[in-house]
Amino acid sequence: MSLTWEPRIVGFACRWCTYAGADLAGTSRLEYPAAIRLIRVPCSGRVNPSFVLRAFQRGADGVLVAGCHPGDCHYTSGNLFTRRRYSLVKRFLEYLGMEPERFRVEWISAAEGHRFAQVVREMTADLRRLGPNRKMREET
Amino acid sequence: MPRIGVFVCWCGLNIAGTVDVERVAEAARAIPGVVHAETYKYFCSEPGQNLIKQAIQEKRLSGVVVAACSPSMHESTFREAARMAGLNPYLVQIANIREQCSWVHTDREEATVKASAIVAAMVAKVRRDEPLEPLKFPVHRKALVIGGGIAGMQAATDIAEAGCPVILVEQGPNLGGRMAQLSETFPTLDCASCILTPRTAEVARHPLIEVLAYSEVREVTGYVGDFTVKIARKPAYVDWDKCIGCMLCQEKCPRKIPSDFERGLGSRKAIGVNFPQAVPNRPVIDREHCTYFEKGKCGVCAKICPVGAVDFEQTETVREEKVGAIVVATGFDVLPREAFGEYGYGKYPDVIDSLAFERLNSSSGPTDGVIRRPSDGKIPREVVFIQCVGSRDPDKGKPYCSKICCMYTAKHAMLYRHKVPDGQAYIFYMDVRAGGKGYEEFVQRAVEADGALYLRGRVARVYPEDGRLLVKGVDTLSGQAVEIAADLVVLATAAVPREEARGLAQILKVGTDEHGFFSEAHPKLRPVETMTRGIFLAGSVQAPRDISESVAQASGAAAKVLALFSRDELAADPLVAAVDESRCSGCLACQPICPYHAIEPKALKDRQVASVNAGLCQGCGACAAACRSGAMKLKGFTDEQILAEVGTLCL
Amino acid sequence: MAYRYFPGCTLHEQARNFDVTARESARRLGLELAELDTWQCCGAVFPLATDAIINLVSPYRALAAADGAGADLVTLCSGCLNVLRRTNRLVATNREIQEKLKSFVEADYSGGRQVHHLLEILKRDVTFEGLAAKVSKGLAGLRVAPYYGCLLLRPPEDMCFDDPEAPTILEDFLRALGAEPVDFALKTECCGAYLALRDGGRSAAAAVVRSAAAGGADLVVTSCPSCSYNLEQAGTALPVVYFTQLLALALGLDGAFGGHAVDPRPVLRKKSLLPEVN
Repeated sequence: MSLTWEPRIVGFACRWCTYAGADLAGTSRLEYPAAIRLIRVPCSGRVNPSFVLRAFQRGADGVLVAGCHPGDCHYTSGNLFTRRRYSLVKRFLEYLGMEPERFRVEWISAAEGHRFAQVVREMTADLRRLGPNRKMREET
Repeated sequence: MPRIGVFVCWCGLNIAGTVDVERVAEAARAIPGVVHAETYKYFCSEPGQNLIKQAIQEKRLSGVVVAACSPSMHESTFREAARMAGLNPYLVQIANIREQCSWVHTDREEATVKASAIVAAMVAKVRRDEPLEPLKFPVHRKALVIGGGIAGMQAATDIAEAGCPVILVEQGPNLGGRMAQLSETFPTLDCASCILTPRTAEVARHPLIEVLAYSEVREVTGYVGDFTVKIARKPAYVDWDKCIGCMLCQEKCPRKIPSDFERGLGSRKAIGVNFPQAVPNRPVIDREHCTYFEKGKCGVCAKICPVGAVDFEQTETVREEKVGAIVVATGFDVLPREAFGEYGYGKYPDVIDSLAFERLNSSSGPTDGVIRRPSDGKIPREVVFIQCVGSRDPDKGKPYCSKICCMYTAKHAMLYRHKVPDGQAYIFYMDVRAGGKGYEEFVQRAVEADGALYLRGRVARVYPEDGRLLVKGVDTLSGQAVEIAADLVVLATAAVPREEARGLAQILKVGTDEHGFFSEAHPKLRPVETMTRGIFLAGSVQAPRDISESVAQASGAAAKVLALFSRDELAADPLVAAVDESRCSGCLACQPICPYHAIEPKALKDRQVASVNAGLCQGCGACAAACRSGAMKLKGFTDEQILAEVGTLCL
Repeated sequence: MAYRYFPGCTLHEQARNFDVTARESARRLGLELAELDTWQCCGAVFPLATDAIINLVSPYRALAAADGAGADLVTLCSGCLNVLRRTNRLVATNREIQEKLKSFVEADYSGGRQVHHLLEILKRDVTFEGLAAKVSKGLAGLRVAPYYGCLLLRPPEDMCFDDPEAPTILEDFLRALGAEPVDFALKTECCGAYLALRDGGRSAAAAVVRSAAAGGADLVVTSCPSCSYNLEQAGTALPVVYFTQLLALALGLDGAFGGHAVDPRPVLRKKSLLPEVN
């Protein structure tokens, strides 16, 4: 670990809303920390909890799952499953001892570039305060 | 061993200004499986694309990663370039290092490291990509239109005029829908039947339109281009093929019953047609009110019929049709009369709804177009119109604006004044919403030329006193309580979806809003499409609409149908779900989660598994996330691919 | 089910005939209506100001007392029902107000009880069929205008009493007694309440009585002393009685018909429901 440790966030972004929102943050030239790396998925409902766990195992310091606002899902109901599924996963992670700030589920629309940047800023700041994820990281 | 090529775009200085593109290419070369990496100023340009094509061919690339702008910009450009160079287009992935890297970070070192990570993740993904071919479906160039009102007839005509056959299903015995009940239309005051009748005749005799009246859609299976539809013909107890439409049966039938078509103001016979110009001009027996069906005696119609067409034993028949597209145009209804006790609707005969007022105005209506109040047939000297009865009323009615009422109420006030020149129309309103060509001018005419008195406020109660109806309300502009002794009260009741529409939505697997109106795919950009490909909407089935809007939307739906029909085959994105049957446990947890009803059980020799109808699947991946055994695979976004991306991004 | 009876102040004063006939009838029907040990005026008006907690104290005490006795409350007066039921609902749904009332009254009641109207108990516990079977002197030929007024029905989301525009419980009750309910337009209209005390403010009550008379009613029944007062003072000859007075009469008990501003006895005698006096 270098002296200037910076957090690493893996984000799962639905292609219709949040991924497009992140693109809008780009076209609007909104600066935010480079900690986030996005994975484009068709719908937040595609995100299997095992992906989130794998990210933490592989050393991600934070994970973001983000999709369309409830009621706005391109596929009608995908994000409703996300909401239900991840309220359980979040409790499970906290049960394992993860700090709640390390895992966030957010609704970010294609028009909310500002919101995307803001979420990344908040998460990065939280993670800098918390330090690296040691709880679930697999030692290699 | 894969042979991946990585192409890092400068995008002028858009990327290269922040990201050290050469270092990104250098890092890519170190990834196992990457056999080629280069940078160029603008890969999206013609020479840039040629570089990619050249590398694909010369280096025999098995996968391509273009590190450039967002995939929403040029993914299709680069996929097409790959296809031209002989590489399956689905083996191209875009690393978004502009919108999500160079444009949002300023630190060159950080941005370069991040760009390299994004490239590495896409390399990991593309290694696990498989070549895919667009799904192809044959198209049955025949359309089903459900609903024979003005919207359905417009859609049917437009499609048929383009040379494609149409089946037009109408649940009632005749074409025309709501418009057939109207007297005159706004904002021109031309008579509804004068414009409707020619259109109805045109539909009925069109060689490419088959009208199935008194029929209902019972079952729809399949998908865009290839729907199988079961249509039930309800028993009319008259053989319409034998019938010559002489209507002797109607004339001689001894049983008079209140007519729904006349909103209860007039009567009809237990056998007959709704109105003389009905198309098809064929009678139906109302089984619930027919003396023969009640008592087993009578049969006057059967005796009088010169061609022996009356058939009391007739039963429902079901036929099956193959169609490529469906237009739903089932129209609207109005709130039932029980909803508003304070207005005495249903209790006092002289409180009627606006549709009944249309019938009073209609020259073919129960009063031959003379406005007479139902209780005693007197000509009303004072008429109170109440707008927003059930509309814009979240507590007791519907929260939405029914949209057509402001206009038709203004029309009613005008028609009334034209027929009763010394009569006075009062209109209680909340707001007058007259957006539309010529609409505001029309309302102004009602006020200025025809003396309609608009009172801004609600009515609290209507009750009879001294042979008239006392209307107690408030004029909020003057702050005064108002009492008007009226001869007739007309309620502009809220437009609601037809009762049958809910069942139809389930049959079609199309979503509805909380009120039961069918949901469009996108309120602005896809207003006539539904979320189910190949099913389109026209008219008030989607929301309350006036005639001109319904017709415009119907033509829009027809254009969408014709665009589908312009192709021999439909191509669909192959990024859909598929089942690995060897891993599927057949639990079908995926079935209820699928918003498109695309998953069905499939019987294997010794067990059942899930199977995906690729024609219905839209590729959301909800099933893949729900699958407990990892058997459900979303092509292009497989578990292996996403986990490989996760692994790479965490390094 | 045991109930605690909340008479309300008027029923111990002006409307004693309402109280007496209800108690006697209930006894005949086998209903236990034990009066709440201590109670005071319900406050008469449900406060609409959100911070008028003090006006809720009195109804809250009555509710807490019934709860302490392990019973639901029952009342006859429309006004008391309105105040008690709405207070009860507020206590059950508004945590902040509940806490304030608990600490002020020093009681621990959270809104778990219900407030009943005698008509509702007749409908649910006795049933109108059961009531009809117990009627010893059917009121055949008596045309009665059932006047609901506003307090029984509104606001409908709080009161849940009957359909606010087209209620039927009084009609069903009257039919069980053998009387003929008269439909009239203003049966759910306000009588004018306290505005009637202002000069010339009785037009609302007068319209109600006119509407009932136009329907051919012999008399009007109410469930509210305030309505009853206003309708009687409206200047027509139509008698106004409480629904329990007709109940008592039909059960063969004394209807306590004396003391009304418009005497109902002549019309009852005319219908042979009271003995002729010589």
